[in-house]
Amino acid sequence: MKQEGLKFFTDTYLTIIGFLIFFSYFIYVTVNALRTPKKQINEFAHIPFSNGEDHGK
Amino acid sequence: MTAHADHNSQTENIVYDDQIVKYFTLATFGWGIAALLFGLIAALQLAYWPMNMNMEWITFGRLRPLHTNAAIFAFAGNAIFAGMYYSTQRLLKARLFSDFLSKIHFWGWQFVILCAAVTLPLGYSQSKEYAELEWPIDILIALVWVIFAINFFMTIKNRREKHLYVGIWFYIATIITVAMLHIVNSIEIPISPLKSLPVWGGIQDALVQWWYGHNAVAFFLTTPFLGLMYYFVPKAANRPVYSYRLSIIHFWALVFIYIWAGPHHLLYTSLPDWAQSLGMVFSLMLWAPSWGGMINGLMTLKGAFKELIQNPVIKFFVAALTFYGMATFEGPLLSIKSVSALGHYTDWIVGHVHSGALGWNGMLIMGMMLWMVPRLWKTELYSTKLAENSFWISLTGVLFYYVSMTVAGITQGLMLNGINGEGKLMYPDFVETVTKIVPLYWVRAIGGALFVTGYLIFIYNMYKTIKLAPKEATEPVVVKVTRTGWSEKSHEPHRQLEGMGLAFSVLTFIAVLVGSVIEIYPTLSLHKYVNPAQTTTPFSALEIAGRGVYVAEGCYVCHSQQIRPIAAEVLRYGPASTIEESMWDRPHQWGSKRTGPDLARVGKKYPDMWHFQHMINPRAITPNSIMPNYPWLLEKNTDFLSLRREFSVMKDLGVPYDQDTIANADIVAQKQAKMIAEELEKQGAPKGLEKKQIVALIAYLQALGQKAVTTETAENK
Repeated sequence: MKQEGLKFFTDTYLTIIGFLIFFSYFIYVTVNALRTPKKQINEFAHIPFSNGEDHGK
Repeated sequence: MTAHADHNSQTENIVYDDQIVKYFTLATFGWGIAALLFGLIAALQLAYWPMNMNMEWITFGRLRPLHTNAAIFAFAGNAIFAGMYYSTQRLLKARLFSDFLSKIHFWGWQFVILCAAVTLPLGYSQSKEYAELEWPIDILIALVWVIFAINFFMTIKNRREKHLYVGIWFYIATIITVAMLHIVNSIEIPISPLKSLPVWGGIQDALVQWWYGHNAVAFFLTTPFLGLMYYFVPKAANRPVYSYRLSIIHFWALVFIYIWAGPHHLLYTSLPDWAQSLGMVFSLMLWAPSWGGMINGLMTLKGAFKELIQNPVIKFFVAALTFYGMATFEGPLLSIKSVSALGHYTDWIVGHVHSGALGWNGMLIMGMMLWMVPRLWKTELYSTKLAENSFWISLTGVLFYYVSMTVAGITQGLMLNGINGEGKLMYPDFVETVTKIVPLYWVRAIGGALFVTGYLIFIYNMYKTIKLAPKEATEPVVVKVTRTGWSEKSHEPHRQLEGMGLAFSVLTFIAVLVGSVIEIYPTLSLHKYVNPAQTTTPFSALEIAGRGVYVAEGCYVCHSQQIRPIAAEVLRYGPASTIEESMWDRPHQWGSKRTGPDLARVGKKYPDMWHFQHMINPRAITPNSIMPNYPWLLEKNTDFLSLRREFSVMKDLGVPYDQDTIANADIVAQKQAKMIAEELEKQGAPKGLEKKQIVALIAYLQALGQKAVTTETAENK
């Protein structure tokens, strides 16, 4: 009975908990990224061309 | 200078450690040749079996792990370290934390590779794919990786650029996840200086192994290369990455989803259905972030069509990204259960893997080196023409390889699954399906030879480029840098996170931990899934000794021990495999490829003499077989002495052996060996075989699928 209970928990609820953690976090990151103004977010795309580089191109 | 440079910030002069980048670059070149040549020889062995040359050290079962380890950890590994060390210093505006740690990292890693190059041909293997190396080398790998991690994270701590660029995120994910994968998959108990048993058994071992195996692809051959892509593609095209926003979504989605996808290697096996479904669903979800990354890379080159025509570096990058897109489209496709039923265990998977390894990793490495080497050695590329030639020849090679293996795999899959109107197998002889695809094995070998040729031209070009470097000692290049981003006050959460190295790393760790725990934790309680009425008896002492021979010879490379509940397989091999049948197996021998038939129920199917003749010369039994001869099994003695220790460890791990069995393991094994040898001798085999490995191997093969249900073991449970 105890084993059955554990099996039911791991096969269903544990998986659902994982899904919930994944989707919550992913939706948060996506919404966050989409809400940030493009100009602001793309600013960092220029880092490889900043003054830390010694070889220009 | 970036727009977010601090006002009034002081300019500092620093010198990057490019010497270590040069070391890793040269190691990449050398190990790349070795890895590709091993692969080419292995390809020829499958097309023409005499290429095994009756030599145990280079026979296919031992050469294939050597090839995969060399390709992944020596060739790709050194390239990753070279590219990461080059780009990390520049993106963080900081010299690597410690020159000393960098050198230990380099020489330690080369020593690991050297150990692999010696032990794998000698047959010291755990038979866990991409994790074959034995326990002392596993410890060494962990130590070197920790040193690498300290060097990397301390460089982050010492950085002058506050914002961590997207490439660095992927490096962080790589370092953390590879450490986790390696440590968990390598928990093992030594039984001799070069042999160990994993603590995981049967289904646990299969799941942990493929959680590791799949994510070795994800976090050793994908995330670090995506990090390199995010740095080197914009640099080569001289334009920023297409969408930084997309890169944020790409990163988190990829690291979160990838870790769950391992069970797609175990579809239709005795793994619980829920875990199979989870692996399949997450594999399908991988389509989105993978293509997000590919689109981001390719769109970075938008408007650079002229560059694509004129610049071989861009050609390599475009080809690499295209192969990445192809491989990450095909991977989820193959993870659909009905597609897996056809493609799994066939050469389709081999073609898929090589479109990624040669097309994505190989092409990206060559493009990166073509861009980086002239800058490292402060010279010009020796020949654009040679770079062009190496590109087109390599590309042709990959295409030959991929197309031939995909066609071979689908052909063999259809033949193996073919059932006629009477419900019988259309091709009952397994070897029929092999001979059909041997011509395609030749095409694959030609493709491999072309790729090797392209790579050798590339190496010659690199050699001549380095020779062009100024001979006189040049002063180290001093770079002027300013601290940037430290005074920024942002209220945007992810922007803040991107400036926090520790918090970012912890979140990344949590992201990969969630999927890992959800999948692995339930199966650690194996008893939940085992039917007490169906537990099997464990192997006898001689059978365990034979199992050691099976593992050492790499039989798992071509033979599975897992019958899927698919009509054609049940007709061909017998009832589908159960969890109970492999519950004592350490490590599991489920396999991932069938160049030969499944062996889960081969026991008692043929007489001992059949196996004896088959191992000495497979063609004496099956005329068109491509299996190598194993004449050394008649000469090499069985290791009876280590059996007591091995049994003792197995008992500690839960295998129901009693003290008598452990105390007399070697004696009992020798008795059984004597009986088998005498029977063989009566049928014409040579005298004095009782101590030879061939007898132990026959005992093991005859035991497969023969471990009847006993109430005794059920009670012991």
